[in-house]
Amino acid sequence: MTKRIYHGGQYTVLSRKEIENIHDATMKVLEDVGFEITYPPALELLEKNGAKVDTEQKKVYAPRELISKCIKQAPGEFTFYGRKEGQEIVLGGTRVQFGTGGTALNVLGFDRKKRPSKARDIADIAALVEKLENLDFLVVPLYPNDAAKGKGDINRFFPCFGHSSKPVMGGVYTLQGLRDIVDMASFLAGGRDKLQRKPFVGFITSIASPLRIDDLYAQLLMEVASMGLPLATSAAPTAGATAPITLAGTLVQQNAEALMGVVLTQLVNPGTPVLYSAVPSTMDLRTMSFLMGTIESGLMNAAVSQMAHYYRIPSYLTVGTTDSKIPDAQAAYESATTCLMGALAGGNFIHEAAGLLEGAMTASPAKYVIDNDIIGSCMRALRGVEINEDTLAVDVIARVGPGGHFLAEEHTVKYMRTEAFFPRVSDRRSYQAWQEAGSKDSWTKAEEIASKLMEEEHEHFMDAGQEEEIRSKYEGLVQF
Amino acid sequence: MSAEIIDRIVENVLQGRRDSEDEGVDEGYYGQPGVTELVKEALGKEVPLEKILSDGLSRGMTMVGQKYETGEYFIPDMLAAAEAVAAAMEVLEPQLLESGRQEDRGKVLIATVEKDQHDIGKNLVCIMLRGAGFSVVDLGINVPAKRIAEAAASEKAGLVGLSALLDTTMPYMRSTIEELEKSNLRDRVKVMIGGAPTSDSFAREIGADAHGKDAFAAVKIAEKFLPGEGNR
Repeated sequence: MTKRIYHGGQYTVLSRKEIENIHDATMKVLEDVGFEITYPPALELLEKNGAKVDTEQKKVYAPRELISKCIKQAPGEFTFYGRKEGQEIVLGGTRVQFGTGGTALNVLGFDRKKRPSKARDIADIAALVEKLENLDFLVVPLYPNDAAKGKGDINRFFPCFGHSSKPVMGGVYTLQGLRDIVDMASFLAGGRDKLQRKPFVGFITSIASPLRIDDLYAQLLMEVASMGLPLATSAAPTAGATAPITLAGTLVQQNAEALMGVVLTQLVNPGTPVLYSAVPSTMDLRTMSFLMGTIESGLMNAAVSQMAHYYRIPSYLTVGTTDSKIPDAQAAYESATTCLMGALAGGNFIHEAAGLLEGAMTASPAKYVIDNDIIGSCMRALRGVEINEDTLAVDVIARVGPGGHFLAEEHTVKYMRTEAFFPRVSDRRSYQAWQEAGSKDSWTKAEEIASKLMEEEHEHFMDAGQEEEIRSKYEGLVQF
Repeated sequence: MSAEIIDRIVENVLQGRRDSEDEGVDEGYYGQPGVTELVKEALGKEVPLEKILSDGLSRGMTMVGQKYETGEYFIPDMLAAAEAVAAAMEVLEPQLLESGRQEDRGKVLIATVEKDQHDIGKNLVCIMLRGAGFSVVDLGINVPAKRIAEAAASEKAGLVGLSALLDTTMPYMRSTIEELEKSNLRDRVKVMIGGAPTSDSFAREIGADAHGKDAFAAVKIAEKFLPGEGNR
């Protein structure tokens, strides 16, 4: 099975000149304002490579040359593998791929009640995502609230490994957790070297806006980079709160943060498969609500994709989440508009794009199904209009002639399944047929589809022996 | 041998292939005999007419209907199959006449009502009915009530199907039914209506016998009102 490849890049929110303006402004920030990094080994490494370091203030001033060198060292393209042949994704250029995001703390279940998420829910959602054909990768969606203290990391990744064959990525909270997960993945891969050659797991470490990396995350970032596994150095500047209110200003700051992530990974291990990572968002300054589903976020993510193309580093975008609390009209239009912008802008690893409500605080099975449709529509948009002699159809138009119809033409049969995208949730029947089928809205219909997919048998990607061995080796894995 | 040719008829109905020139739904069929050629071949091998009709054509259409229900087949797939079957019925016409099957079943008369120029839906219904083995008289579009009533009498129709796409032309369905009553045909002619603005309740309101929400429903209605042992 080979995946169809979709290319974006048709939409450019920034001109070439504007990209350069953002770049120049960013260089001033990195050179003159500096970055706060508290982890001594990171400071030493940066200093050794030509950055000006103020040990007292724990500030790093990175010169343009150093930044340029690291940008060049970062791979322009890399493959993130799955557990099954054909599930791998090639990140880079204008190839567009969508997947899930996290970390939600709650699940909005089929009873329409919100409850704290558990390890079991991660397995269930991983299995659901496995069956949603437009989702190319699985970012660990939830926090397992039933995991013991300090056991969150292993309980986040273990259910994913068992129920997903798609590339898995997620944030980690502890160094021990990171090491355990890499060991677990190495065991499943048949050795660390095999995992490194064909990585099916990657990590997300955080850069704190504005312009700061704390001890733990610097340490995690350097550890992942040293192992050469796929890495996103997520920074979430919030316009008006942790970044300037202007979208341009937030883009400058997020660029500085994304590039600092690139710089550190490349100094640790040149060639580390790093994503140019961004989670640019806004705040509603009337209520202090942190917002994920805004059109401004869509604009900034589109710009981020352009910046990543400019640097020739695969991008990590954040679109498709909604601030709505339920899968309603707001959820649909926020997810659809931002996803389409990210896709048309040519984002490579577009995460957070499925299943999430309430600014990513809550995951909903129904929303995964709806978003799978939204993403399918976006991919159809990327496919564009195919023009060739056969599709221009002059012969068919001539054969049917004025006043005829095309329903019974072979040409129609030939293209009707591929020319249109067929969403699962949309109701496209007559009023009467819809009424006879129970007058269901899209939320109800999506719930039915999700519940059916989750009840159907699904594949396991860990055999009983492997599961037992892992469970006995890592204490604290929740039983489910 | 006869089982093999019947299976090939079913297979080619599913592929919607009238003859060897048709490509079919799947690849690799072009050049191979289609439904009409296979039916001729079956006749040549003296396969009983009944077997060709029920185990071949009718079974094929039933399977097509199932594939449509599950979403695998689209309308054009159904149309291709129905057209292939209709063409095969033409091949079989001499045998059908000889066996006297079509006589007692009654024809279906189809028309788009007065002032309405829309015919795609009506054409689909005609194709599907023919594919199901019905004898269909298509009066075309913009047909006045009086002409429909006259044709119902002269063609000895058992069922009249009326189509309208506009809510401004829907009232002509009512006047057509009134015309059938005036002509004293209503006790032996059933009426079904269809078209986007029509509904079950509208059918009841104007005294039609049935409303078909699509071409498949029309076939089901026709089967109910014109039960025929012969060609189904």
